[in-house]
Amino acid sequence: DSVQVRQKLVEIDPKEEEEFDRELRALVQESLESRKVELRAKPTINMMIPMNVFEGPGKDPKIVEGESGEDTVDEEGGSVGGSNKVRVKVIVKRGNKQQTKQMFIPQDCSLVQGTKQKEMAELEE
Amino acid sequence: EETGEDDNYEFGKGGFTEHACRYCGVQNPACVVRCNIPSCRKWFCNSRGNTSGSHIVNHLVRAKHKEVCLHKDSPLGETILECYNCGCRNVFLLGFISAKTESVVVLLCREPCLSVNALKDMNWDLSQWCPLIDDRCFLQWLVKVPSEQEQLRARQISAQQINKLEELWKTNPDASLEDLEKPGVDDEPQPVVLKYEDAYQYQNVFAPLIKLEADYDKMMKESQSKDNVTIRWDIGLNKKRVAYFIFPKEDNELRLVPGDELRLRYSGDASHPAWQSVGHVIKLTAQEEVALELRASQGVPVDVTHGFSVDFVWKSTSFDRMQGAMKTFAVDETSVSGYIYHHLLGHEVELQVVRNTLPRRFGAPGLPELNASQVFAVKSVLQKPISLIQGPPGTGKTVTSAAIVYHMAKQGQGQVLVCAPSNVAVDQLSEKISSTGLKVVRLCAKSREAVMSPVEHLTLHYQVRHLDTSEKSELHKLQQLKDEQGELSSSDEKKFKALKRATEREILQSADVICCTCVGAGDPRLANFRFRQVLIDESTQATEPECLIPLVLGVKQVVLVGDHCQLGPVIMCKKAARAGLAQSLFERLVLLGLKPFRLQVQYRMHPSLSEFPSNSFYEGTLQNGVTVNERQTTGIDFPWPVPNRPMFFYVQMGQEEISASGTSYLNRTEAANVEKIVTTFLRSGVIPSQIGVITPYEGQRAYIVNYMSRNGSLRQQLYKEIEVASVDSFQGREKDYIILSCVRSNEHQGIGFLNDPRRLNVALTRARYGIVILGNPKVLSKQPLWNSLLTHYKEHECLVEGPLNNLKQSMVQFQKPKKIYY
Ligand SMILES: [Zn+2]
Ligand SMILES: [Zn+2]
Ligand SMILES: [Zn+2]
Repeated sequence: DSVQVRQKLVEIDPKEEEEFDRELRALVQESLESRKVELRAKPTINMMIPMNVFEGPGKDPKIVEGESGEDTVDEEGGSVGGSNKVRVKVIVKRGNKQQTKQMFIPQDCSLVQGTKQKEMAELEE
Repeated sequence: EETGEDDNYEFGKGGFTEHACRYCGVQNPACVVRCNIPSCRKWFCNSRGNTSGSHIVNHLVRAKHKEVCLHKDSPLGETILECYNCGCRNVFLLGFISAKTESVVVLLCREPCLSVNALKDMNWDLSQWCPLIDDRCFLQWLVKVPSEQEQLRARQISAQQINKLEELWKTNPDASLEDLEKPGVDDEPQPVVLKYEDAYQYQNVFAPLIKLEADYDKMMKESQSKDNVTIRWDIGLNKKRVAYFIFPKEDNELRLVPGDELRLRYSGDASHPAWQSVGHVIKLTAQEEVALELRASQGVPVDVTHGFSVDFVWKSTSFDRMQGAMKTFAVDETSVSGYIYHHLLGHEVELQVVRNTLPRRFGAPGLPELNASQVFAVKSVLQKPISLIQGPPGTGKTVTSAAIVYHMAKQGQGQVLVCAPSNVAVDQLSEKISSTGLKVVRLCAKSREAVMSPVEHLTLHYQVRHLDTSEKSELHKLQQLKDEQGELSSSDEKKFKALKRATEREILQSADVICCTCVGAGDPRLANFRFRQVLIDESTQATEPECLIPLVLGVKQVVLVGDHCQLGPVIMCKKAARAGLAQSLFERLVLLGLKPFRLQVQYRMHPSLSEFPSNSFYEGTLQNGVTVNERQTTGIDFPWPVPNRPMFFYVQMGQEEISASGTSYLNRTEAANVEKIVTTFLRSGVIPSQIGVITPYEGQRAYIVNYMSRNGSLRQQLYKEIEVASVDSFQGREKDYIILSCVRSNEHQGIGFLNDPRRLNVALTRARYGIVILGNPKVLSKQPLWNSLLTHYKEHECLVEGPLNNLKQSMVQFQKPKKIYY
């Protein structure tokens, strides 16, 4: 059901935009400052990558099944291998429990530059 | 309660979701996040819409809220976004980092965790911290931006509206955008417009108008109690009690229709306790007698006949269904196709062609051959997602509609839904469609199941009773038991209902075509059905929200049939009518530039009778499919002033009077002359059912009925069989001879009802063989359209006066028409 609607141009009031930006920046600034005041002591480090992330079939970490399995793979999953998306595992905490979910991140995202370079290096080997 | 219609059914619920963006309504789980502040917990989407930041970022900034939670059906599942290391939930501080060697990412806060040196030594790459909010939007791979289509179908909210709404939420957290724009109690409602930004604005305009009309309807109907009613008792074929009584009506007052619910009361006496029961009107006789089938047959004081009271039981069902349809239209994007959505709202859409193989011939079995304009209409609408067919009087729009439905049903796109605002029209159309050989089910409101229908064999309730298979025997046994005893034990009743529901569903599913009224399309029994193809007949007599009810069941192709040059929907509340509720969807689409296919050949009127309507209402395009010879009245001796021109305007100078009720008009001389004309017709061999008397005023209608039966020189019964009714109740029908009594005759006031050109069009186009108009040319000629009608009659030497057996050309002077156009 594709439909061609003649687009009206969205015009954003520059004054509104400017005001919004100001408020947003203020909020970020305020957040940063409050943290500096709150946490004088350095936080403890609690950032081990859970071992189960690396357990899985095969050596390629990209094929490791996440806890939630296939149903977290959205329709763009098909393009992996294609590919302008890179599959990553996102680890989140639920209370003390860690959970891993698969996500797809655009290749040009700075986050996955490292992974990509590594892949390239592997390919050249 | 079986008769309770859909009391337990919540309208428009299907489409509404809690997690819809509170700004724009987008509800794709991958695109929304919930504000996690306990006092807020509202959902917002990640689209920018018409603002600089995405909706969720807008909300967080404006409300100074800083925590969010993802939707359970989003790729990450129900997750509160927080720092993997310290648990900080401030989204303005969060960003993703990845592991150095693995494709693993976590959220980390900027302060202080990102600056902890110890992390660098571990496996994490801190150089590429990627903030959660980037360019005033959440990371799009985490929270998707709704597609362009989704955004276009969402509410188009502006930055100012957002700011106002955020302001309002501070005092009233449950407020909606509608609350911002609610008019005060005494304000005029917002008028309808041609184009709407989105379905929310549409709903904002129409919902208050429907509410006004509903309130007015309720107030009017509930004030219609009548006391001292005399009852005649009877028992129906289904063993139910039927009460017969007279229920007089007045102009602008309640007109009962079959299916209406009334409460009959008896206050009690020495030998009878007080009693009351609700029932449905199953029949209305020409003598204004009402047949009311009572719901309960126990304890009815059948030995009493006098002193009963009758109240109207108002039902909100039809209004609820309209409101429900508008809500579904707004929140459920599968309710209508994208093309239809944008077209209905008046957005500019690229023309779309429906790719269907066209049939070789456009007629259908069991129907008369189609003429050229009918073929053209059928062919064209089959290729268009939205089309309008204009059917002037007598041009065969029912046949054309039936042919369209036939071809649609043969295209294999699923069942076709066919609707019209009135039951009469639905019945006619169901019959025509059924004659093409298609399997038709006519769905009636439960309250109308006892009402006689000309297409009873097509009705769902009849088919349920008569479906002849062995599995149904259990249902039939219970039905029989119920008929005999009046009611069933509660366990049997439960079983009966379940069996009935299953059978109904089965029959509905096996139909090619389902026919019901527009309001009937909101019946809970159709709630799980989807219809891609919908045809609405008489759509110019339905309000927009009424038309929407059959459309929001998944329509992709819609055909609206009607004639915007005839009468539109009846709106009782003046405020709502003024604001434009009386304008049909068909009319608005015409105003938006959608050109209707006009059927051009009329098969009803004698060519002399179609000439004026064709020129005045249809730009002269109406052609005659009947010849003068086919409309010749051989053997009928009637004093037409010009032979072969069976029409005249009979000049009347009698005064108008206010009727006894004080709310209507009558005109005694006109009534007396109507009787003389009727008698002349009857004497010359015309039978009563061929004659229709039209008058716009209830006072005159009642007076004529009374006068004829008292003063007519022929058998009383003959006059009783003649239909005397308003213009409105003749719409869609025809008679061989029409007598039109205009009534209004005063020098200073207007001509009331007759001012509406569409009403005049309907009045003039009901007759097949001949028409007589009675009125005062001096008064009527002030109105431009009437002036040209009078001129037309005069030019054809059909403006006459004097006694009926000696009619002479009238030399009455016309007045200059005022330049008022409607
Ligand atoms: Zn909030
Ligand atoms: Zn939104
Ligand atoms: Zn942290």
